[in-house]
Order: sequence, then C-alpha cells, then structure tokens
Amino acid sequence: MRFFQPKSQLGFARILAETRSKVPISPGLISLEKPLKKEGYSAYFEIPFPTLDNIDKSSKKLIWIFPKEKEEKVLSKSFVLTEQPFYPHFVSDSISSQDYFEYVESFLSFPEAFRQIFTLPITMTDSKLVNQVSQTDCSLYILTGLSSLFNNQRRLSELLVSLREKISPDIAIYVPGPISPAFYSFLVYSGIDFFDNSQAYYTSKNGYFLTIDRTYSNEEHPTCYCPYCMEKPPNLFKHNELIIKNALTRIHHSLKEETLRTLVEKDIHNKVSFAATLRKYDSVFSQSFRSRSPIISNATMKCVGEESLSRPVITEYRNRIRERFVPDLLSRIVLLLPCSARKPYSFSRSHMQIRKAIKKGGRGIFSILSELIVTSPLSVVPRELEGIFPAKFYDIPVAGQWTSKEISITATLLNDILKRYSKDAIIINHMSGEGYKDIIQIVREQNSFTVYDTSQEASPTSDKSLSRLSETLQEIFSDKFSSDVQAPSTLTKKLRAISDFQFGSDTGRILFADSLKTKGKYPRNQQIFSEKEQIAILNSKNGFLSLSPDSAQSISTKSKNILEFGDIQVKGSNIFAPGCIKADNSILPNDEIFVVFEKQVVATAKAIVSGKDMNKMTSGIVAEIKKKTRVKK
Amino acid sequence: MKINTSYSESIKQIREKNLPSREHSRRIIHWEEKHRIKSEVVKALVFILPTRGCSWALSGSGGCSVCGYLYDNPQKPDFEMIMISIKDILNKKIQQEEEYSIKIFTSGSFLDRNEVPINVQEAILKELAKYHQIREIVLESRPEYINDKILQNIVNNIDISKIEIAIGLESANNKILKNSVNKGFFWEDFEQATERIIKFGAKVKAYLLFKPPFVTEYDSINDIFLSVSKIKKLGIDTVSINAISIHRGTYLSLLFEKNQYRPPWLWSLVYICKEIKAKFPEIRLICDVVAGGTRRGAHNCGECDKAILEQLKEFTLTQDLKALNHNIQCSCKEEWKGYVLHEKIS
Repeated sequence: MRFFQPKSQLGFARILAETRSKVPISPGLISLEKPLKKEGYSAYFEIPFPTLDNIDKSSKKLIWIFPKEKEEKVLSKSFVLTEQPFYPHFVSDSISSQDYFEYVESFLSFPEAFRQIFTLPITMTDSKLVNQVSQTDCSLYILTGLSSLFNNQRRLSELLVSLREKISPDIAIYVPGPISPAFYSFLVYSGIDFFDNSQAYYTSKNGYFLTIDRTYSNEEHPTCYCPYCMEKPPNLFKHNELIIKNALTRIHHSLKEETLRTLVEKDIHNKVSFAATLRKYDSVFSQSFRSRSPIISNATMKCVGEESLSRPVITEYRNRIRERFVPDLLSRIVLLLPCSARKPYSFSRSHMQIRKAIKKGGRGIFSILSELIVTSPLSVVPRELEGIFPAKFYDIPVAGQWTSKEISITATLLNDILKRYSKDAIIINHMSGEGYKDIIQIVREQNSFTVYDTSQEASPTSDKSLSRLSETLQEIFSDKFSSDVQAPSTLTKKLRAISDFQFGSDTGRILFADSLKTKGKYPRNQQIFSEKEQIAILNSKNGFLSLSPDSAQSISTKSKNILEFGDIQVKGSNIFAPGCIKADNSILPNDEIFVVFEKQVVATAKAIVSGKDMNKMTSGIVAEIKKKTRVKK
Repeated sequence: MKINTSYSESIKQIREKNLPSREHSRRIIHWEEKHRIKSEVVKALVFILPTRGCSWALSGSGGCSVCGYLYDNPQKPDFEMIMISIKDILNKKIQQEEEYSIKIFTSGSFLDRNEVPINVQEAILKELAKYHQIREIVLESRPEYINDKILQNIVNNIDISKIEIAIGLESANNKILKNSVNKGFFWEDFEQATERIIKFGAKVKAYLLFKPPFVTEYDSINDIFLSVSKIKKLGIDTVSINAISIHRGTYLSLLFEKNQYRPPWLWSLVYICKEIKAKFPEIRLICDVVAGGTRRGAHNCGECDKAILEQLKEFTLTQDLKALNHNIQCSCKEEWKGYVLHEKIS
C-alpha cells in the first residue's frame, strides 16, 4: 500500500493525503531541519552529521507532521533515506550509471518500500530500472537536477510529462533545493508535490528579500508589515520562510477551489521559459493535461491571456462540442448570437431582450430554432449547454477585438457544427462587430447556407436590430414550420445535449423522452422524472447530470464513463484500485462514472482521478460511490 | 581498470590545453615555517623543486581531476642548478643550535626516477645526511614508485628512520579514487606501499582530500572518517586533511565555473578535526588550508574565516583540541548546516 491518496486532480497537480488518516499533506513544504514551529510544514528531515563511530550508518529520516489526534492512525510517521546514489545529476552517465544501477538494485531489496525515499536524477528518468521502482509501493521520489532545466522548455516539458505519464498519481515527487516561490504553481501543475525551505536559507544568507512573485535585495524592497519584519532588527529568514509557506497554502487553496490553472496562467508571467513550457503543454502535450483536467466543476474561470485559448478544459470542451453535439432533428433556423458578460447568457439583459424578439417570430418557433452563442475562448456554446461548466463560469476581458487565432479557431468549430444541420436550414446572424464579421465571412465562404444579417447596422440589442430579427424570423417561420410534427420540449433538448456532452454521443436520446416532468426550481437541483420514476438530477451549480443506476444501465453500452469492477456487489462507500479492473481512458477527474460488473451497472460514482490514472494505481481510492444499484431479490 | 576511460579522456583534454603555457625554467622555491614533530615544535625548511612535474599528470591519463600543480613546473628541469641551490640554502639556513624538519616537494613524486633521476635523489639525500640538526625529512611520492630497490637506495644514503614518505591517498574509497579524483591507483596499492615503507623503517604520512568533485560535503566528511579509520589500522599516525582549493586549468575548475561545485566550509574542517582528535588522540592531524578564506579555497561567510583559519593553524601546531574550542559564533554556522543537508539531499 502506498502512503499517499489523491484527493483531487487538476492537470498533473493533485492534492495528496496520507492514505489512512486522510490528512492532506501535499502540495507541501519540507524543512531541512526540525523546525521550531511546525505550522506550514508537511515534514522535516532528521539527518544527523556523520561521526567516527557511526560512519555512513546514521539513519536519515523524513518525519511527517500530523495533527496529534491523527498520529496513531497513519500508515507511517516517517520515511527513511536508506541510501543515495553516489554521484550528482550533472555527472556524465559514463561515471555515474554503473553506480546508479547498483543503487537501484539495492533499493529494490529494501524492506518497507512504502517508506523508502527514492532518489532519481533527471538524467536517469528514462532508465528501465526506474520503471521497476515505480511498480513497488515506494511513495516519494526526490527528483534531482530539475532546476538545471528551468531555461530549457523543450527538455523540461518532455521530462516532466513523460515522468508523470509513467508513474502513478499516488507517488509524490519532491524537488529539493532553492526554488523561487513564484514558480511553485507552475511546478505543482507539472506534477511536483514537495519543495523545501532551502530557498529561505539561501535567500536569507545572500541578503535577498522574497515576495510571493519576486526577489528583491534586502536594501531596497517593498515595506512588509509581517511580525518578523517589524522585529528590530528584522528577521529576514523568518520573513522569507513565511513567504514560501504562504505561497504553498495559496496553491493548496486554488487546487481545492479548482482554479489552479488560472493561477498558473498568472504566475508564468514571472518566468518566460515557464510561459513557453506551458504553451508546449497545451500544444504538444495537450492530451496529457486534458485527460486529467475536470470538466465537472463550478469554479470561476478567468480567461485573460493568450494561454487561456488553449486551456485544457477549453480544448476538451471544443472537442466534445465538435464530436458530440447534435442539433435537434427539427432545427431549420440557426440563430447566431453574441455572448454576454452575465452567465448563464439567458439571465443577461441582452439575451432576455433577444428572446422577446424571437417569440414575436411565431408560435412554436423554438421547435425549429437552434441558438448558438459565438464567443471566445469557448468558440460556440449551443443554448442547450449554456448552464454547464465551463460555459457558465468563464470570464473574459471584452474589448471587441479578436485576435486572428481566436477568429480562426472559432470559425472552424462553427463551420463544423453547422455541417450537422439540415441542408435547407437558414442561418440568421444576429451579431455585430469586427471579429464577428470576420467569422461570418468565413462561414459564408465555406458553406452554402442562406445567411440573413439582422444586426448589421446597429448593436444586437438596439430596437432596430431586434425588430429586424423578429421580422426575419416571421418571414422564414411559416415556410419552415409544420404543426403536424411533435417536437421535443426545450427541457428535453437541453438534457439530451448535456447527456451527450457528459456521457457520450447518443446517450441523450436514450435517456430522455420528448416530454418530461421535473421537480425543484432554480437555484435548487432539478429532479427529472419519467413516468413517475426519477431518472436523473440536474445539478444547478455545475449544470451536469447525475443518473439513477437504472438510467445508467440504459446507456452503459454507449457511454464512455465506464469503470469495470471486479465484483457484483460494491462494499463501503468507495471504489479501491484493486477492485478496478479497467477504467475508460477518457474518464476525467470529478466525472460521474458507472461501475459495471459483467455488463451490469452496480453503482454510480464520482471519479477522484482520471481513468488513465485509475489504471495505474495499485492501492487507494479511485472513485467515491454515489448510488448503488438495489439488489433485486 | 583503475581509471574511468571517458572521464580521464576529458581531464586529459583540459590538461593538453593548458600545458603549453608552462614556463621554460624555474628557480627553486623555499621557505621556513613552524612544524610539529611528536611533542615539540621545530623549524621546518620547505623546498619546492622545479622538476618536470608529476608523471601521472603528464601521462595519457590526464592526471588528477583537481590538481594544477603541474602548471608551476618548468618544461625542462635543471638539476645542476637544483643541487647548487639546495646546498647553498641548507648551508645558509641551518643553524647550529636549532632542530629542523626538511620538506622536499616536487609537485610530483620525489621517488620517481623519471622525475628525479636516481643520482639526483642520492645526491640530495647525501647532502641532507651531513646535517645532524635535521631530525625529519619529508618526501612525497605516489605508491607505484615505492619499491624495495628505491627504499634500499635511501637506506644506503641516510638514516632511514628520519624519513617520512607522504602519499597522496586522497580517499580510501576506490570509487572516489577512480570516478572523482582519477588518481590511477587504488587503496590496495597504498596499503602495499605503506607496508614496504614501514618494513624498511621509514614513516608514512597520508594526505586525504576533503571534498573531491561530485562528492557532497556530507559524504566527504563520512569518507574522511572512513579513510582515517582504515589508515590508522595500517599503523600510520600522521594524517593530513587537505581541503580542496580550486586550481586553474583543472576539471574541478570547470565544475566550479559552471556553479556545480562549492569549496568546502571551514566549519566542516573544524568538525572533522574535533571528531578525529577526540576519538584518535594519538593521530598527528594536520590541517593546513591552502587558499583558505578565498572563493577558490575552503571558506565560510567571509567574516569568521580568518579567526577559524587561525584556530586550525594553532591546532595543527599544538595538536591540542583546546585550540578548536574557542567558541567562535557566526551567523553562517546555521547556514553551513543547512547547506550541507540540502547538498546531501539533492
């Protein structure tokens, strides 16, 4: 059994807890010596100096810091550094590899692998012997030499991604040595779990004053009113120590809130090579991060910089829209609308006005109308999906200017979606402004649809444009509408779209009939009934669905959110790694998943880590049970 | 294999780049200092002979990764001049009533006949034998030159009990000798040479290198302790701890310039000396810090360096632990601990 238990995941970042007591300890800080005050530290080293009587036999320990009442419960109170490879990371392989292999071989024979600390120089991460270590219960790696790659975005991204792809998420990585707290968020996002206080020693020794994003000389720095700076003379070490402690709690908190990515985008401005590395993550290694970034979330998402355009959840969102969004069969009019600052869009003033104008188009107009909101960085949000993450939670600085990259990404997705509509559908463009104009231009060039512009001369919410919209709709409506056909309700259309997006294509039509009954009004969760049986709950916060086990059964062959379980009965309230035979690789952390035994859904659950990582874990919890199937006797 | 081929190749390349800059000729260098023999302090006369330099350093192996003494040797030795100078200096310096220790260093091996021809060795020893005031003669040599023949040659020319042969063992760990120092010999060679020297009645002094390249300060403290214990078992009672100073034109110098090496802390030396002297009081422990307190030598924060160097000097001379117990307080003592631990972990 490994020492750590992932509690949540966002990219390669995880919150790790001790596996028995569930006390969260990473991302964390390690003290090189026993600290006077333990607050803010996850652990400290106890390394006695060598003496003549005790040559190389002194035990080097890492002592974990737990609350007193939990201490008896934990798997282990301390780790040991039984041996270390002799040569440092910068020594050429010809000198060090032989010794290193000897080290790894002896390491594999150490008892109690879960409390052994493994030293891994960056030059050895590809070695096959290291793969053997990753199969043991060893839970903590010291990755040495990483800071030598901080200016080499190519090698840094390759190394961190390949290492994290290889090892299980319940293995923690500790990067020793002085590292600026301004880099912590990026490194945590890259899969580093522990740092140490040598930065405080180093900066204090050399007379540097730390702030959370920068280093100043001790002679000239911003005034600080922390108690240590108020001492006379100021205690520089303690001030710097406080800064690095706070830097970590800030990251810990943003992981809990699921806003780490926003923090990373802000912090990479402190170091251009990390900004470049993040771009590599989003382009070359996009899949690695996408498959580990939750799409079920209710965290606000600030999209300010260019990095936001290629954020993993946004790429995932666009991908799912492209692959899974299917407009209702009866849709004959596609209305393109601008976004609004208020989310969901339909709660905004502008969209309420537009809705009023639509209604004037004719009774039953919504049965043949499909609304698509065109926006950056999400590109296209069908009205049905405006209530889900990230559509309901993003925020962008609006200045009316679109970059050419934004325009091309948006137009491409819009074109792909429009191809799903019937050939005789008519497009109404109710958007104005430079960027939107360019997008429509591309749509016209690449499609044969008839496009009407209703907001060409004035803003979309002006009386002139709104009445143009109503008139245009009226003109087309009688042409396209047939009262003989029974159309699905707006709610059904919405639930189907959410289901397809969340569980996989074709699942919506299986789950939801043309008309449904509901209980509970916004802001409460909506319970969905079909013939008196509750089939699902629509979570009003994040906009996603929870299914009853019976509903889950009905889509279990279509859905991707499947975890194959080893037993007919689920005991307790968690799914543990040994019970997980195989998890679908497309499962994201936080996903609603279906626990299946021999094609029978035995429970629904919430994923803790990605499906990829569930398959790597050998112990610990991989998902939390939501509902178990009642055993019919 | 006592060397690591690729490592030795890169050392050799650095060596070849720097060798041509050597001067063509050099005069003998000498000075006087205080020196401890057993229980008393005597005058020591130190000679640096301008031979062609260490054969190991000149060989295809590139020599030791840390040593740049070779660059002070001339391209061509002038033994006639050397003999005349030695005679002259001894004649001028040795006084009737004093006792002396003579140290003859070549930056190589005195007993290597390719470096110091056998007739020159004999002539120097004969000259020294003329002075009854000389109580001790220190010669330096690598172990491979210490054979029965060369030792017999000493016996033939001087009272061999006065001779102390200093061998740069550096470490008793063959891995360090091979992969860090590129020393070219192993512990076992040192062991053999020691046995021979003792058999002939001379004494042995071992040099240990504190903090060779790639070895952390923590590991090096460990290694010094391990080496001292092994050396002591051979019956050697004089150990010199040589803290590294970074010589230009060496592999170590390149590491230092790349910021991959920090010279040892003086605090570590104090710690080592205290520990060894307390446990093995009978060992004569020498700790002369070359370039102490400078960037390229063992140093602390710069503020306490001078005081600590004084202490180490006093200790070497008096062999009294009290010398190290003056409580010097400096804020960098904590940093030293932090540094050693951090360097060990990473």
